[in-house]
Amino acid sequence: MARTITMIDAITEAMAQEMERDERVFVMGEDIGLSGGVFKATQGLYDKFGEERVLDTPLAEGNIIASAIGASMVGLRPIAEIQFADFITPAMESLVQQASKIRYRSAGGYGCSLTVRICCGGGTGGGLYHSQENAAWFVHEPGLKVVMPSTPYDAKGLLLAAIRDPNPVLYFEHKKLYRTAKGDVPDGDYTVPIGKAETRRRGRDMTIVTYGYMTSLCLEAAEKMAQNSVEAEVIDLRTLSPIDKETVLESVRRTSKCLIVHEDKRTLGIGGEISAIIAEEAFDDLDGPIVRITGPDIPAIPFAPPLEHAWMVNTDKIVAGMEKLAAY
Amino acid sequence: MAAKGGRGVAELETEKSENGRKSENGRELMLGLYRMLVKCRMCDEKARILFRQGKYAGNFYSGVGQEAAEVGAAYSLREDDWIAPSHRDWTSNIIKGAPLNLCFAQLFGKVTSPDRGKSTPAHMGYPPIHTITPASSIAGQLAVGTGVAFGLKRLRRDTVVISFFGDGATSLGGFHEALNFAGVHRLPIIYVCQNNLWAESVPLRLQTALKDLSDRAKAYGFPGVSVDGNDVLAVYDAATKAIARARAGDGPTFIECKTYRWYGHSEIDPAKYRMKEEVDAWKKRDPVALFEKVLRDKKLLNDESKDKIAKEITQEINEAVEFAEQSPYPDASELAEHIWAQE
Repeated sequence: MARTITMIDAITEAMAQEMERDERVFVMGEDIGLSGGVFKATQGLYDKFGEERVLDTPLAEGNIIASAIGASMVGLRPIAEIQFADFITPAMESLVQQASKIRYRSAGGYGCSLTVRICCGGGTGGGLYHSQENAAWFVHEPGLKVVMPSTPYDAKGLLLAAIRDPNPVLYFEHKKLYRTAKGDVPDGDYTVPIGKAETRRRGRDMTIVTYGYMTSLCLEAAEKMAQNSVEAEVIDLRTLSPIDKETVLESVRRTSKCLIVHEDKRTLGIGGEISAIIAEEAFDDLDGPIVRITGPDIPAIPFAPPLEHAWMVNTDKIVAGMEKLAAY
Repeated sequence: MAAKGGRGVAELETEKSENGRKSENGRELMLGLYRMLVKCRMCDEKARILFRQGKYAGNFYSGVGQEAAEVGAAYSLREDDWIAPSHRDWTSNIIKGAPLNLCFAQLFGKVTSPDRGKSTPAHMGYPPIHTITPASSIAGQLAVGTGVAFGLKRLRRDTVVISFFGDGATSLGGFHEALNFAGVHRLPIIYVCQNNLWAESVPLRLQTALKDLSDRAKAYGFPGVSVDGNDVLAVYDAATKAIARARAGDGPTFIECKTYRWYGHSEIDPAKYRMKEEVDAWKKRDPVALFEKVLRDKKLLNDESKDKIAKEITQEINEAVEFAEQSPYPDASELAEHIWAQE
């Protein structure tokens, strides 16, 4: 039975149900046990499953991931939490040199099945070090899957899929969506396939490719532009690695125009890769330039409200991009 | 030479080894340790020659001079125990029981290698015996090995992990994170630091202000010991105690083996940064020769039995090298294999 719940509740529910179903599953991270997490994503799990399966770790992101890798190598299914994507940098060695490569360097002799939940994203006044997204860093690393849900339904289904996936999966959750995204979520078991995008709105005039928090802004912008008789198709990637090229290309071939929207910085972002895929594989189908609306190439999101506002992609910026593209 | 504060040769010689993978009596244990020291030395020297002959490319990271640390620490592990090796611990696979064929095929990057030619020479793991294929990033395996110990503890197994690393690794942040975590959870792991005084070309005095690296263990709340890393019995004694402690659920131990790397960091490093006097002094304390003397004094070894051991190992090595040379390289079609697990 489906109920309307928030994204954070969908995330908590997915973990609780999977821990119930599979005793190999446990969660570990900073402040996730006694306090239930800084955003309360693990609220109630400590009381239900105890310290052994809901483990408060030392403040050491590299070791959180390395421990999870090792535990998964002996058959466990860890869910590691990185409290803020900004603080994932101490875990780069563990993620990029170990998790993504251990299967390859051992020719499949070893592997790791772990889920890393990473709270990310700006627009909440978090300042330089509580606002970064950073997902694109890991899209550059084959061996890691990267997902980012935009709805509570996908949040639960993708998390269950991530935990059951035999590969390391980085599961980015945008903090702005935790309590603002509400939607119907089945109370039972289901998964959302990793590697499949979802078309959120049908349209014939242009394709908007986006993911995460930006999805709702793109849908708003599409509705605005519909009043000017521009019907945009909105594709929510959901999985950033591996990218669902087929869904993107099929749409672009129909609409002949593509706008890419992401919150993260511009240069070498997901948009750059999507642009290249389209240029390589759908060049003849394009009737206009590929347009990107993204965060700027500025080190991080600054604190002062006007500065953060200027940094963030918003509906107006997306509409401006759509207008530019619609002119072709 | 007796282990510092440990049991003497005579006691070891007569005792029944409780931790041994085979139930060896003292004499068998002594001869087994010797044979393994010689095997590691001969395989390592052969690997160097083969590299210089151009039989394989890349590089090799010799552990000659450090055999007593490696053998003494890992010799008594059980088959289901784990080793998290570093780049200089190719021979830890041999000690744990990997067939030599596979070890040499690994250096050659052949398809018959456990990693099918993907991993760098000497960066070897072999899943059936639980040696973890290492990355080159220093202290990386130390962190993953700690994670394995964490998993084993959660599964309530009585299996243990040995993590091998050098003095250089103790400077990394990941070293601190791992040992701190192991201390908090009393993980079944033995940290075996082969302090060979040089981290590539950086001398120990520029690496740490400590005299004994085992002092670091105090900060993590578990025992640390420094032993003569060229005395296989001293290392064996410290290791068997640490392994028993880990197996019993009493937590980690840090063992610093003070030893020396005879050659450069790798085969392309002439190691001119070291004084000849230092190298010569350490070569006089050759761990293999030291133990040979112990066995001769105890009448456990003579010229005849020594030659017999060397001949047997030589034949095994020759067959393994032949196997490696005859084995094909992986087909280019394997390039994109083993990135993802199949669902």
